[in-house]
Amino acid sequence: MVDLIFYAAATLSVLAALGVVLARNPVHSVLWLLASFVGIATTYLLSGFQFLAAIQVLVYGGAIMVLFLFVVMLLNLGDPDAEHDAPVMQGGLTPRLGIGIGCIVAALTLLTVANANLAQLPEGVVLPIGGLDPLKQMALAMFTQWTLAFEGASVLLLATAVGVLVLAKRERASVAVSPPQTLTAAKEEAA
Amino acid sequence: MSLITIVQESALQTTAQGGAFDPESTQQLFANTFTGDAARALAPMVSLTVGILVLLVCELFEGLKKIRPAVFLGAILASAWGCWGLWQHTPEIGAPVRVLGGTLLVSQQVGVWGMVFLAATLVAWMQARKYYRQEAPFLGEHDVLMLTAPIGMMMMAGAQDLITFFIGLELLSIPLYCLAAFRRVRNDSVEAGLKYFVLGAFGVAMFLYGAGLLYTATGTMSLPELRQVGEALESPLARTGIALMLGSLFFKASIFPFHLWVPDVYQGSPTPVTSLMATGTKAAAFAFLLEAAFLVPVSAATLIGVLAVLTLAVGNFGALMQKDLKRMLAWSGIAHAGTLLFTVAASAASDGLLSAEATQAAVLYMAAYVFTAGGAFALLSWLEADGEHHTTIDGLRGLGQRRPGMAAGMTLFLLSLGGIPATGGFIGKFFVFGAAVQADMIALSIAGILLSVVALGYYLRVVIAMWMQPAKDGQAPPMAERPWAAACVGFCAAMVVAIGVLPGFLSGSTLFP
Repeated sequence: MVDLIFYAAATLSVLAALGVVLARNPVHSVLWLLASFVGIATTYLLSGFQFLAAIQVLVYGGAIMVLFLFVVMLLNLGDPDAEHDAPVMQGGLTPRLGIGIGCIVAALTLLTVANANLAQLPEGVVLPIGGLDPLKQMALAMFTQWTLAFEGASVLLLATAVGVLVLAKRERASVAVSPPQTLTAAKEEAA
Repeated sequence: MSLITIVQESALQTTAQGGAFDPESTQQLFANTFTGDAARALAPMVSLTVGILVLLVCELFEGLKKIRPAVFLGAILASAWGCWGLWQHTPEIGAPVRVLGGTLLVSQQVGVWGMVFLAATLVAWMQARKYYRQEAPFLGEHDVLMLTAPIGMMMMAGAQDLITFFIGLELLSIPLYCLAAFRRVRNDSVEAGLKYFVLGAFGVAMFLYGAGLLYTATGTMSLPELRQVGEALESPLARTGIALMLGSLFFKASIFPFHLWVPDVYQGSPTPVTSLMATGTKAAAFAFLLEAAFLVPVSAATLIGVLAVLTLAVGNFGALMQKDLKRMLAWSGIAHAGTLLFTVAASAASDGLLSAEATQAAVLYMAAYVFTAGGAFALLSWLEADGEHHTTIDGLRGLGQRRPGMAAGMTLFLLSLGGIPATGGFIGKFFVFGAAVQADMIALSIAGILLSVVALGYYLRVVIAMWMQPAKDGQAPPMAERPWAAACVGFCAAMVVAIGVLPGFLSGSTLFP
């Protein structure tokens, strides 16, 4: 039974992840992402991480997802079908080459994964029945062994916010901004 | 110890104790984690983080904006003091010390690498003073982003665990993506930022994928534990993972065939940012590559050596074609990455026996390269103040008569890049090829040294243009005076000569006894 639920959840997350990439409408992509998150949350639950599963649904499935939808709606992306994006397969040699190489890499990886002996988990890894008591344990792990990675991630978020500000906000420029110079014009000028 | 085992063990303990929260054991856990060694290892990163926060506060008040340079320099100096402490006072007895649950290394080499990263940042920052015009109102953010990058580099160099390394990699990359596109009114800067971002995100995804496969195959993400797993590292799954991770690191270090982004990104980015990318990123990628070289199977060492020779060839022949000095330095940066890759090949070929020698050679090489390439880029950003045609080789003609000081500095840096004795570049090359020869890679070393001679062809072309060819008619000489850039060039020149003439202060017994 547990196996059945696991395989169902795993298939759901993989298919939904494909849906995120393949959907043409950004709102559909976001909804596929939600399905993928739910699948992953189920996997967490089956592994005994109730807290992580709850957080996955609440934070990612809830808050982050609303943020995504908000940004998508804010950007007001038009009807994708009416736009210029032609199907990938009509794009000449390079995209086809890329898809081909991607398929080969995927096939090779699948082969290796299929041949690997995944049944051999490291010894001593036995999940306690009834789940872990993860909140306290996770907090302890996060603030002892993983302190550096955890604090590093917060500095990273800060730097990202500053970077986004630099790239997005342009009004502060006190000097009049000249119209963007085209690359070809710059190259001609250099030559 | 991997996360899952730690969580489970402590969970089992808790269950055994009837699930009660035990403050004493928690206190013990904290006391065992945050030791004095941990504080010393974290000190350089914490000082930089404090510097970032103070800089952000300074942005809030108009009156405080004047002290920004002091804050920046203070953070760098405090961090350098921490690195100096690690370098000078780490006891090197037996096994290396790992702190924070084994995720961070405390050793002399981490201290020395930290100094190299800080030097790269300092050089890039000094040449950025008065470099920007339209973007000048954003200098506060510029400094914050520039101060974030070395934190990531230090995490990469000290990481003993793939998760810590990954956070460090992102902490280095994301500020650089933004800085590459910093001159947003210029299309080539935006193009550079976008290219770097898209390809960099792809490279990072490759790393994550590889690390995931490696974890699936071995059940651990910690480097010391990966050293112990033995045969599990030889499974196809683990090998695939290692190959993907190497590809990602080679991308950051601009190794053939992952080098194609380099010329466009280096040329399009603002020159101070290019300087940081060329020196700091490369040093950080190699610091971790050398630490993780044991993952490379001995049988693949020759392949790495061949890649090194190919990278050297591609970089040098690419540079021969260039007319613009900035783009030429980008190609020459690829060639230098090729030379450095010999250290990784040597470490892998000797099955870790030569890893201390290889690391020492790489540190020396990078220390010289930071000041050599950093100084050359500083001169370029100085010249750019008068217009960008001054950085073409034609534009440099007659510089020797018009600005002898600048021309002399550039000549010194170019000779050092070419590896002429009595400059830092020679010492670096000497140690790198020395390590390769010790690892019995004689044929590859000879190929590498011969290709390094090719490099002199294009370096000397610039020297000839500066000193022996008259300036073109009607070309205005570069006039701008930029004290910060001049100080930066002087500092770099002094360090290049110091490393070249007295390598003992870096390479002697003080480095790694």
